[in-house]
Amino acid sequence: MSHLLKNKELKELAKIYDWVSMCTHCGNCKYGYEYGPTSNFAAMLCVQGDKFNFDSYRGSRGKVSLARSLLHNRIGWSDKVAHVLFTCTSCGACQQMCETDIKPWILRMFETLRYEAWKQNVAIPENIKAWSSTIGTLYNPYKEPHEKRLDWLPSDVKASLPKKAEYIYFAGCTASYRRKQLARATVSLLKKLKVDFTVVADEWCCASPLLRTGQYDLAAKFVEHNKALPEKYGASAFITTCSGCYRTLGRDYTMDAPEGYADKYGKMTGVKVLHTTHLLEEMLNKGEIEFTGSFNKKVTYHDPCHLGRHAEVYETPRNVLKAVPGLQLVEMYRNRKFSFCCGAGGGVRGGFADYSLETAGKRVKEAEATGAELVTSACPFCYTNLADAIELNKSPLKMEDIVEIIEPIVKRK
Amino acid sequence: MARGNKEILANLEQIVGPEYVSNEEADLQPYTWDMTWAEPRMPDYVVMPKTVTEVQRVLRLANHRKIPVIPYCNGTNIGGLCVPEEGGIIMDLKKMDRILKIDPETCYAVIEPGVSHAAFSAALKATNPQWKGEEFSKGFEFGWGVHPPSASVLAMAINHGIGHLNGRLGINSQLMSSMEVVLPTGEVAKIGSCAYSDSWHSFLPLPRMDGLFTGWLGTTGIVTKLGVWIFPIRPYKDVLTIAAASAEDITKYMVRWRHYSLCDEVTAVSWWLAQIPIVFPYSPKPADAPEFFSYTVISGWSQEELDYKRKMWKEVVAKERAKGTKLIDFEYPPEAKKGRTELPSRIVGSTKNYSKSCGGGIAWPGTFAPCKSWPILYEKWKEIYIRHGLSPATRFTDYQGAHYGMLRCMTPFNKRDPASVQAARDAMVECVRAGLPEGMLPYKPPVEYQNELNAVADAGYLYLMTKIKDMLDPNNIMNPGKLGIR
Ligand SMILES: Cc1cc2nc3c(=O)[nH]c(=O)nc-3n(C[C@H](O)[C@H](O)[C@H](O)COP(=O)(O)OP(=O)(O)OC[C@H]3O[C@@H](n4cnc5c(N)ncnc54)[C@H](O)[C@@H]3O)c2cc1C
Ligand code: SF4
Ligand code: SF4
Repeated sequence: MSHLLKNKELKELAKIYDWVSMCTHCGNCKYGYEYGPTSNFAAMLCVQGDKFNFDSYRGSRGKVSLARSLLHNRIGWSDKVAHVLFTCTSCGACQQMCETDIKPWILRMFETLRYEAWKQNVAIPENIKAWSSTIGTLYNPYKEPHEKRLDWLPSDVKASLPKKAEYIYFAGCTASYRRKQLARATVSLLKKLKVDFTVVADEWCCASPLLRTGQYDLAAKFVEHNKALPEKYGASAFITTCSGCYRTLGRDYTMDAPEGYADKYGKMTGVKVLHTTHLLEEMLNKGEIEFTGSFNKKVTYHDPCHLGRHAEVYETPRNVLKAVPGLQLVEMYRNRKFSFCCGAGGGVRGGFADYSLETAGKRVKEAEATGAELVTSACPFCYTNLADAIELNKSPLKMEDIVEIIEPIVKRK
Repeated sequence: MARGNKEILANLEQIVGPEYVSNEEADLQPYTWDMTWAEPRMPDYVVMPKTVTEVQRVLRLANHRKIPVIPYCNGTNIGGLCVPEEGGIIMDLKKMDRILKIDPETCYAVIEPGVSHAAFSAALKATNPQWKGEEFSKGFEFGWGVHPPSASVLAMAINHGIGHLNGRLGINSQLMSSMEVVLPTGEVAKIGSCAYSDSWHSFLPLPRMDGLFTGWLGTTGIVTKLGVWIFPIRPYKDVLTIAAASAEDITKYMVRWRHYSLCDEVTAVSWWLAQIPIVFPYSPKPADAPEFFSYTVISGWSQEELDYKRKMWKEVVAKERAKGTKLIDFEYPPEAKKGRTELPSRIVGSTKNYSKSCGGGIAWPGTFAPCKSWPILYEKWKEIYIRHGLSPATRFTDYQGAHYGMLRCMTPFNKRDPASVQAARDAMVECVRAGLPEGMLPYKPPVEYQNELNAVADAGYLYLMTKIKDMLDPNNIMNPGKLGIR
């Protein structure tokens, strides 16, 4: 039996067949595991497999196998294929486990499969289709008017913002339209810390939802537009509180395939991309931050997949939290590279709200088991899903972003 | 696209619930193939039972309607054993994933088929050997292989799996202590001590009926619970290494060292298997490199015990050298040592060591063979492999007692290239054919090896095997086509 590439119509997928065909079907990606003298971790990490059970849904193996089956012309497109593709949250846990040469290509392959799916007559989730039909003119996936993008910004702050600055605070769509308090807390924090930043009215969606759902053509103008912002505002860096934006600006805009999309949209160069926690950690290390109060709570930190597994930023947010007076940081069993996704990514929150919230509910239960009073994270999108699940499950937990914890109790030294 | 028939689908949905059955090709496709050359075959349904009753009801339905049933846990057997030769129902047992008991006093555990090596090792490591509350040491272990940690412990054990304690304790099917099985006709039977009480500690002194379901590749029933012996983790461990210029010399050393029964494992790998990844396609080894590298794992309860074993090992090496056996000193890199003492491992258990950049195919002639056949067969296999453009990435591992052990050749190949697939398949079948007269027997055999076995088997053996199969599975629904007898 040989694996001949027969279906040449799936051009994007065929292009990466060299990598797809490196998968040995070993199944390492179906379960999280590490063993050693100090670690002994074993847990299900695949959100999708946890819910939909069959091997088609478990880890990358099911989807690599699907890609091959399509490329070998052994199966055709169907609504079920779309379901398998669009219920994956792109959390990257499977990629974390894989050890063969397909590893770096796994998430890119998921997105490529989705790209191909859009061209077929299959059931792309209605809600994804709905936001996709307006994002090209509204520049956000929430179907909100672009003119209202900066409505979250207090007018006094707005008036005081410079036209040009070192940093552009890139709020992202979720903070701008749905979690405005996070955007407000971030600008307040940046002001307190005397950071030279501005906020721009012509920020567009970073294109994360488009790239993650395989909408390559639509994404192009977003990348092009946002890439031009630093030059326009004399900035040398983007700073963002959103892990999705961080991943997209910091990797998709700037790195070659498979980590980024420079192969499609060119490379953004000369611009730094920071997550807010990076700046906080740096200033803490330099002794530039003074705490004016404490935060006397037991807190557990949820790793956003886009910051953690996608960008390998695990310790920075923890270091920031550990510096907060009074804060007791406790870990969930599944943490860092073995974290469990909140269930929102990869277009899943939009496409399958119930399943997404069910996943977040599982994560909330895990957070409860630590005995923490509060769960924190570093992403408005994780915030939304976890906070909704807390409410839905009547959990005693509270949810606050790291920025919300820090902002009230710091000043610049 | 959906497959199968609506009525059967509805029946299966009634039994396991609609969430746990599918007849959609998109769901069926991962079950059509594995890493070997096995021709992909589409099943018609996949079901995921959660209870023994559900397993029984699915089997009764399948038996009544004469539909093949393929037991499946993770499909990593490297033999195409879960590829549904004649379509039918894949019974994916991953939802039956409970560790039902860990008895830290009698030192056994009871597990369901879906318990992975990862989950089992984590649970065992967290349980301490004890007697009436008094703890003796830290953690238990079982025989961990070098497979993906997601693979099933039960599926491994009932198919004569090989773990890291095989030198000390034998292969994993020798560590089984009791079982529960659902017959193809739907009845449930307990075998061993568990048939008489809730103690799952031993098959003996009863007739060994577990043999009806061990090594049968899922063709005689579904094992739904398995008792296995577990062993206290010894706190002191070391890996001792030596190389040799030939298969003959490394075998001499291994057999002498095994004579003393002092190690947990002794294994030798040819130069090609020692390369990461395995050299593909074949290229010769450097002339001055040893042909074989060997490691042995020793363990103990104290430094003194370890020192004694190390001393004895040095004596063995010295004695062999004195006789003229060419043994070459070499040190394992720390990573490789870890790979031998920290099992199961996601790194070791991944396939990266074998198949980097070569097109996803992996298979082996994996066999049990008398130790004295190793050097003879190695030379034969090497010739066959090189002729087919493949590296003779061979492994010898001694099993408890110096009677016999593993002889296998891990073989990467390029699935994108029909010629590469054919060459790998042909070479491996030829190796099996060459080995049978020397006492070698393939384990977890793909259909092609099974046919080779049947061609030379004792007629009475095949008659008995067929009779047992017919008695247990009158409609030949269990994983049909795998034994080559029906
Ligand atoms: C890289 C690599 C290294 C490996 N190294 C080792 C090793 O060191 N030692 C070793 O032993 N194996 C090894 N293997 C082989 C394999 O991983 C193991 O045998 C493994 O335990 C099989 O588990 P599975 O869940 O994949 O079983 P599957 O492949 O799903 O099943 C194996 C067989 O058992 C049958 N079966 C499954 N469940 C049941 C049941 N409940 N009742 C009856 N029949 C059943 C199936 O029909 C099939 O015939 C290796 C594999 C790989 C890929
Ligand atoms: S990305 Fe996450 S949800 Fe998707 S298959 Fe991998 S582990 Fe599962
Ligand atoms: S994606 Fe990687 S870990 Fe998963 S089956 Fe393929 S090779 Fe193995």
